[in-house]
Amino acid sequence: MTVKELKTEEFMVNMGPQHPSTHGVCKLVIKMDGEEIKEITPHVGFLHRSIEKIGENRTYAQFVPYTDRIDYVASMNANHAYVIAAEKLGGVEVPERAEYLRVIMAELNRIASHLVWLATFAIDLGAVTPFLYAFREREMILDLFEMTCGQRLTYNYMCIGGVNWDIPKEFEPKLREFLKIFPSRVDDYEDLLTNNPIFLYRTKNIGILSKETAFEYSVSGPSLRGSGVKWDIRKAESYSIYDRFDFDIPVGYNGDAWDRYRVRMREMRESAKIVQQAIDGLPGGDIQTKVPRTWKPPEGEVFTRIEAPRGEMAYHIVSDGSTKPYRMKIRTASFCNLQVLPIIGINHLIADLVAIFGSLDIILPEVDR
Amino acid sequence: MSLVRQTTNGIYNLILGLAVTVKHLFKHAITLQYPKERWTMPERSRGTVVLLSDTETGKLNCTACLMCEKACPVAAITIEREKNPETKKFEPTSFTIDMGICCYCGLCEKACNFSAIKLTGKYEMSIYDKSELIYDMDFLQKLGRDVKYEKRKRVVKKTAVKKATAKPKTTEARAESGDKKAEGTSSTKDDGDVKEKPKNETEEGKE
Repeated sequence: MTVKELKTEEFMVNMGPQHPSTHGVCKLVIKMDGEEIKEITPHVGFLHRSIEKIGENRTYAQFVPYTDRIDYVASMNANHAYVIAAEKLGGVEVPERAEYLRVIMAELNRIASHLVWLATFAIDLGAVTPFLYAFREREMILDLFEMTCGQRLTYNYMCIGGVNWDIPKEFEPKLREFLKIFPSRVDDYEDLLTNNPIFLYRTKNIGILSKETAFEYSVSGPSLRGSGVKWDIRKAESYSIYDRFDFDIPVGYNGDAWDRYRVRMREMRESAKIVQQAIDGLPGGDIQTKVPRTWKPPEGEVFTRIEAPRGEMAYHIVSDGSTKPYRMKIRTASFCNLQVLPIIGINHLIADLVAIFGSLDIILPEVDR
Repeated sequence: MSLVRQTTNGIYNLILGLAVTVKHLFKHAITLQYPKERWTMPERSRGTVVLLSDTETGKLNCTACLMCEKACPVAAITIEREKNPETKKFEPTSFTIDMGICCYCGLCEKACNFSAIKLTGKYEMSIYDKSELIYDMDFLQKLGRDVKYEKRKRVVKKTAVKKATAKPKTTEARAESGDKKAEGTSSTKDDGDVKEKPKNETEEGKE
């Protein structure tokens, strides 16, 4: 009997929900032919907390802490998305200083979020050192957040009509110190990873996401830009005061895991640039427009979207004129980005699936809400 | 040729990465040995909730206005109150916070007009039993004894002042006409507050 005559068959493998490289609780049921992946079925819903329904049972101000929990790695951006929607609904004007502070915090949080992604992505591929370095820099950002709003993860910093706390005195020197050293630290990460032959072998031509597939599945954020589409809400549909800052939108070419990695690394530098411009031009004045405690926005509906670190985050709020929203719909980027995994992941080895999954930067509480 | 270039490139980049790690070998450690060393928590740190008391009299600042209870998004705060017959002001008879469900958002502190409730930098609150996380009034007061704070000055708008001055007039007038009526009005107010509570509870039940 030769080897060819041996009977082989496809078999199923459960990856998750407790797999460390799924960044949360996501179960992937994989059909395998030997080492090759033939079919992927993601099972989501382990972290479902019905946040949209909770939003209908809370007043507009009470819902802000819940937005922190949608994307706990980038809470500031999640805050920002909701607050903008509520303000548009009620026609609340935000003071200039508050807008600047919001942009500073949102961009710092984007850097922190990308650092978490970099750390976990590298550790998934077997590189432990970048994890330690990335978390060291993230710690500096979290210290800035902690001295401003008192929390390290769930900030509840923005409120309807502005921000809750002004920055303390020691914030600005610390931020400038961070901005001074950060570009050299990104150089360090790039020295460690970007052209490392092992890293290149694990990420180049792995998980190629074509433009067409990305459009079909409404992929957004750095994963879309990695495929060569120059689309960023901050430029395309400028919200808040992003039109005042000068920054580039980095794009990739092939749409493989390495391109998505490059886009995020360059985005961190661009975000640092925005923060630098914002802190230089930070005006004085109020940080909050007074909104009455029992705030009743007029009847109507509103749809706003922002560029969160993982892609477009959108809020659709329907108001019936009472203190609570009548209906709330939250669009999160991770849910849409996860949909392409069964398409770009097939015909790869199971070890590459970890790289592809990591490169999409999905966070599971955002998928399930 | 390309193979030679590839290998030299690869070796160069491996050494480049190695140089970064070697560079860090001679730097100070940034970690902290936790139980022996501790971080100094920033002033605004949002940890354990405490009740603040007056520095002179030692009494609680809380006037049982229930604003924090209404502001709490997770309904962690429950207050029972009673009217003091001497001062005719509300005083809390029980004030419990369930730290197990508290989300440390700080909305109660924001809602409080009397500097009575505060989130502090205390973070070591591990216990063996879940029920011990429900803090009662005495414990919350004990926690807040050593907390320094600035009493919030109430900023009253001009229109609000007019209303405030207008209201006592009517109550005084009622008091003159008969104490019983004044008592009656206050009791109806109480009922109104009581009625609101079950509504909130049922809404949470729907979830």
